[in-house]
Amino acid sequence: MKINLRFILLQCFFMIMSAPFWPLSSQTTPTKEPEIGIVEHLDAYLPDNLVFTDQDNKQVNLKYLINKPTVISFVYFRCPGICSPLMNGMAEAMDKNPDMVLGKDYQAITISFDPIETPDLALKKRANYLSRMKNPGEKNGWIFLTGDSTNIARATHAIGFNFKKAGNDYLHPGCIYMLSPKAKITRYLRGIYFLPFEFKLALIEASEGKSASTINKILIFCYNYDPAGQQYVLAVTKVTGSIILFFVLLLFITLLLRSRYKKIYS
Amino acid sequence: MSLDSKSHRLPSYLEYRGKYKGILAWILSTDHKRIGLLYFYCMSTFALAGVVLGLLMKLELIAPGQTIMTAQTYNGLFTIHGLTMIFLFVIPGLIAIFGNFMLPIMIGARDVAFPKLNLFSWYLYLLGALTVLSSQFMGDGPPDTGWTFYAPYSLQTHTNVLAAVTGAFILGFSSILTGVNFVVTIHQMRAPGMGFFRMPLFSWALYGTAWIQLLATPVIGITFLMVVAERVFHIGFFDPTLGGDPLLYQHLFWIYSHPAVYIMILPAMGAITEIIPTFANRVVFGYKAIALSSLAIAFVGYFVWGHHMFTAGMSDTARWAFSLLTFLVAIPSAIKVFNWTATLYKGSIDLQPPFWWAMGFIFVFMIGGLSGLVLGSIATDVHLQDTAFVVAHFHYIVFGGTGFAFFAALHYWYPKMFGKVYNRRRANIGLLIFFIGFNCLYFPMFILGMMGMPRRYFDYLPEFHAWNIVSTIGSWILATGLIIIITNLLRARKGTPEEIDNPWNGRTLEWQIQSPPPLENFEEIPIITAGPYERHNTAE
Repeated sequence: MKINLRFILLQCFFMIMSAPFWPLSSQTTPTKEPEIGIVEHLDAYLPDNLVFTDQDNKQVNLKYLINKPTVISFVYFRCPGICSPLMNGMAEAMDKNPDMVLGKDYQAITISFDPIETPDLALKKRANYLSRMKNPGEKNGWIFLTGDSTNIARATHAIGFNFKKAGNDYLHPGCIYMLSPKAKITRYLRGIYFLPFEFKLALIEASEGKSASTINKILIFCYNYDPAGQQYVLAVTKVTGSIILFFVLLLFITLLLRSRYKKIYS
Repeated sequence: MSLDSKSHRLPSYLEYRGKYKGILAWILSTDHKRIGLLYFYCMSTFALAGVVLGLLMKLELIAPGQTIMTAQTYNGLFTIHGLTMIFLFVIPGLIAIFGNFMLPIMIGARDVAFPKLNLFSWYLYLLGALTVLSSQFMGDGPPDTGWTFYAPYSLQTHTNVLAAVTGAFILGFSSILTGVNFVVTIHQMRAPGMGFFRMPLFSWALYGTAWIQLLATPVIGITFLMVVAERVFHIGFFDPTLGGDPLLYQHLFWIYSHPAVYIMILPAMGAITEIIPTFANRVVFGYKAIALSSLAIAFVGYFVWGHHMFTAGMSDTARWAFSLLTFLVAIPSAIKVFNWTATLYKGSIDLQPPFWWAMGFIFVFMIGGLSGLVLGSIATDVHLQDTAFVVAHFHYIVFGGTGFAFFAALHYWYPKMFGKVYNRRRANIGLLIFFIGFNCLYFPMFILGMMGMPRRYFDYLPEFHAWNIVSTIGSWILATGLIIIITNLLRARKGTPEEIDNPWNGRTLEWQIQSPPPLENFEEIPIITAGPYERHNTAE
């Protein structure tokens, strides 16, 4: 008993001592641009009047297409700028999370926000990206959509993606969006490169705990999204609080289960 | 009556000669009574230093403008006064001194569960205390943040915050280890026949306190480490310019520091609960209610920290929720007060110094507690936040509550601890002067606070002058009383030993062994047959 308690005490001690050295973010907030940029509509639902055409030339309603955690990106296929790197980043993040199967555990949807682009081009682009992935997942895991300007405007407005036409091209931000199976926007991951771990956490979050495995639930408990630093950070207070409660509870249970010392005296 | 009366007298823990001699026999001793006294001597020294600092602050406030020190000195002074008094005296005070000394005896054990750990806790305490005090002499001057180390100022000031915070962190570990020790002792080492509901109520109070120590103290430890990490490595936890959140600091700080108020007051209430039945010559009224109210205070006390932050920018929902919970915590406190009063009813009251101290405790604690409700209600708190009213309130609770109970416990157990008696008349005179001085010192601060005098300034507007003079004079009266009390006890310490095993007719176990207790307390572990305040509670 004595040894056990000492061991527990030591563990408590080192756990607590090491807490502040776990990594944490300290990035600063970027400024928002009203005309071009992202206006976050977290927890908002997509409207049900967004009709697009998929790469097989079929009409689809975006809201009804979403029936599992979904990653959405807005690009235009002939973009000379950040669209290709963004698509590569997205493909890489999906590729590096082989434990989550694209098309089964989640899906990806890429929407062209240029109304003149066609399903043919979408089909080619899709084949191009899938061919480079080691884990392309199931058929139709990654859907490429094109649409008319009305539907594009509605969809980009609903998500908060603000862009502007400049000559033949567009000025636009780089970001991907996580949506829950009920088409609720749960997370914005900005940039063109996505840490596979963050990508995974965002997907687990988007699943809203319904299909997440235990380990994933623990992950999402331990990490919070920090809106200022725009990344997932270890929730130090939550984690250390749980550790303290755990050890205190352990001590209490040990004491309850153990009979008293008095036997020694008798 | 006495468990030992039939047998010979054993050498007491003070006379016992072990492996070591001189000071080593003390600082290497794992005897809970010697460790209790080690704490006693250290803490008394620190507390007296704290009193001197307080007197200097009151002297500065005797007149508006600079009187005896500069503003920066005053800032340093109230910081180290708070640090010394809170972290070195009132938080560990009754637990480490009387808890260590009395707990094993009261539950019929020979020592605490982990005697070596107990000694280690004292070393940690000493190390922490010296580290805190070193902040005064090293680096760029004494810290000037107040004992709360509020961020972001504590991250930005050039004064020596680091040493003070590190010291407080070490003290936290001492507190946690003592808590573990007491919890295990109470669970495992009670004498045969002593169920939980046959424990003396002081042990119950220590039990509740020990759980708070275990649960809350790690929080402040982590918080202080975060401050250190932020100051040294510039990791942004609390400083907004690094992406941190200053409100987070306040939350974390008060999640510990509010329960810490209960760490201070619960053992104090426990000591009072021992004293009152002894001098009323009655079984305590409402034993279970008092025992469970200790746990209720410990539990509810966890969820009220936000009342320190009503004006800090919390949401409205958080504010009213914390306000409501604050009012709830008054219920178990009131249960205790009513039970003490009911114990006195139809008692055969013996008016001895410890009893007078207990009465003084109830009086000042009531004023402190009721003024706490004024601050717990949001509307009045907005007006009184950061004024002298708050200072008066917490001195009535912390000094009036814990301080009075400390002296009550000291006068009560003194004959047991040293086997000597003090002059009771002098003790009463000292108490009377101390009591007058105390109220004279702190009551004007309630009025000053309501008039709008802010706390933590070395200067004030002329309209506050009159009450400040009263307050400063009160501090001198209080100091006079304190000198009488201390010299009386010191003289008694030098006096001849007497065979006074049970001078107050106490019924709990500690009064049934010789004074001072022998090394292992009991020759034979007693078998408990009745409640702690019954007349014959052990088997012959």
